[in-house]
Amino acid sequence: MLKPIIRNTATTLLMLAAGAILLWPPPARVAASQAKQDSLAIIVNQSNPVDNLSTAELRAVFLGERSHWPNGRRITLVMMEPGQFERDTVLHDVCRMSESDFRRRFLQGLLTGEVLVSPKTLSTPVGVRKFVFNVPGAIGYLRPADVDDSVKVIKIDGHLPSDAEYPLHVPLRAER
Amino acid sequence: MSERIQLTVAAGATSFAPRVGKDPGFLSRYSSALLLLLLVALEAGVVYFVIRDVRSANHEVQKMYASAVRGLRRIGGLQYEAQETRRSTLYALSTNDSNLQVVYADQSREADSRVTAGITEYLKEARLPREMELGKRLQRDWSDYLGVRNEVLASILEGSTKEAVAFDLAQGIPKFDQVRQDLEETQRLYDEQASQRLANVAALSRRSVLQLVLVLLCTVFLVSIFVWVLQKSKMASTLQLARMQMDFAASVSHELRTPLAVLCSAVDNIADGVVTGKEQMAKYGTVIRNQSQQINGLIGQILLFAATQDGKGRYVMRPIRVSEFIESAVTGTSELVRRAGFVLEQRVSPQLPKVLGDATALSQCLQNLITNALKYGEKARWIAIDATCEETRDRRNREVRISVYDRGKGIDRSELPRIFEPFYRSPSVVAEQIHGAGLGLPIAKSLAEAMGGRLSVASEVGVGTVFTLRLPVYEELSESQVGREGRN
Repeated sequence: MLKPIIRNTATTLLMLAAGAILLWPPPARVAASQAKQDSLAIIVNQSNPVDNLSTAELRAVFLGERSHWPNGRRITLVMMEPGQFERDTVLHDVCRMSESDFRRRFLQGLLTGEVLVSPKTLSTPVGVRKFVFNVPGAIGYLRPADVDDSVKVIKIDGHLPSDAEYPLHVPLRAER
Repeated sequence: MSERIQLTVAAGATSFAPRVGKDPGFLSRYSSALLLLLLVALEAGVVYFVIRDVRSANHEVQKMYASAVRGLRRIGGLQYEAQETRRSTLYALSTNDSNLQVVYADQSREADSRVTAGITEYLKEARLPREMELGKRLQRDWSDYLGVRNEVLASILEGSTKEAVAFDLAQGIPKFDQVRQDLEETQRLYDEQASQRLANVAALSRRSVLQLVLVLLCTVFLVSIFVWVLQKSKMASTLQLARMQMDFAASVSHELRTPLAVLCSAVDNIADGVVTGKEQMAKYGTVIRNQSQQINGLIGQILLFAATQDGKGRYVMRPIRVSEFIESAVTGTSELVRRAGFVLEQRVSPQLPKVLGDATALSQCLQNLITNALKYGEKARWIAIDATCEETRDRRNREVRISVYDRGKGIDRSELPRIFEPFYRSPSVVAEQIHGAGLGLPIAKSLAEAMGGRLSVASEVGVGTVFTLRLPVYEELSESQVGREGRN
């Protein structure tokens, strides 16, 4: 009676230990993985008064739950085409949903009137940047190398893309 | 310089002729050349004016053309780019593809930047207040339109087509119309400026024609005047020459006739045996010698005058003491002075500087002045020679002044300008039967000028006359002056 309990407990502990080892990588390993990644900068129009968003606020924006900026401008979401690392990162890390869920959500939102404007899809980073430059209420994302002075990079949870604690990362282009 | 001073009568000096003033034949001699020169100068003036005006008109036309073409091209370009800005914005309405919309937005912004640059350039080149005002208004209206355009573009990109169209209808079209009107006004301004310049060119052309006509009329008028003056001068010169020749012939004949009559009479008496005895013969001999000397003196004066007038007189120039030629002149005339019963006073300052000149010529000059004083000294019978060294009128140099005074009847003011004219004799002198050929003073003046000096006269009727000979001081002459004087 006691033997199977002990065996099960040991097995459970072993599995927990293995899982902890796998899920808790040492700092050197984390640094090595970040070194092979780009930050994903969140950009807005230069006239936008917002400088910082929390992860939760960012999620609300990208899910269409928040429709206007504090200055009254309507929020226009700018996404890259499906299949791009940047889009995948935003869907996974910000929206925390799959591509199909994201589409379904916005389709539903437009029908119910919960969402005012569907996300705009641009095929290139330059297109994203020019769109955000032209539309005062636009928000999009770009790798830092694609950003220039025509748009403004906002902080996420108080961190800029150059900070170590910045939460959004995307694999390097060369790895694709 | 030490060789014997000679006053030489140049070859051909006997073929002299009386002259009017200094150079009576000057105008006649060079009339053709002067006329030609005047015509050439006038024609050159006319050509200069014409060329200048033609060039000016040409330049103005070129400027007008370049300015009009450039201005119209610029306005045309601005109009096209402004339309392109609007057109590209509206193209974005025609698609739902965000990528294409961004491309159209880019095109619109590129076109608008060209318009903005064009307006800035227009403002930079604007000079007239109206141009500047128009440029500023255009700049302001264009900026307003761009604000509307940006909103329309943003609405289109957001997907709010209806909002975009409504906003464009409400504000975009009126603002763009304002810009269009500004551009049309700018175009009109260019047209007005071109018209103004055209009017200027036309006015310039009219002015050129008028100038040309005026200058040609002036040319004809001046040439006519010149020819008239020339003809008149020639005629006056010819008449005066003829009169002078007659006067000369009469004067010389008269001067020769008197001693010749005496000579003839004396010779007749001797031939007829009227003269007897040694004492009487000696008396006649003296008369014949004196009259011969008088004739010889007159002929000598005529020859000397001819020599001084033809400019070929050769002088031996050297630095000489003033007292040297004064003494020579006084000695040369002492017998005449004594016989006439005159008193001759000399006031020659000691330590006078030397002058450059021909001693014989200067002595002759002074002798003529003394002889003149003897002739017209009348009852006072007093002559004074005064020599001093003073500053010239401009106070730069010094000069020696030798004055010959008399207390004679004086010369009337109206006759002073003429007394140095050859063969001129005052009517009052002729009436008083004072002998002379009218050559003494002209010779003295010519000699003074040949020595680089001047001879002047001051006189008062009833008081007397003073002739002043001014000669430059040798030490103060420059090398070039010495050389020039030395070559005379």
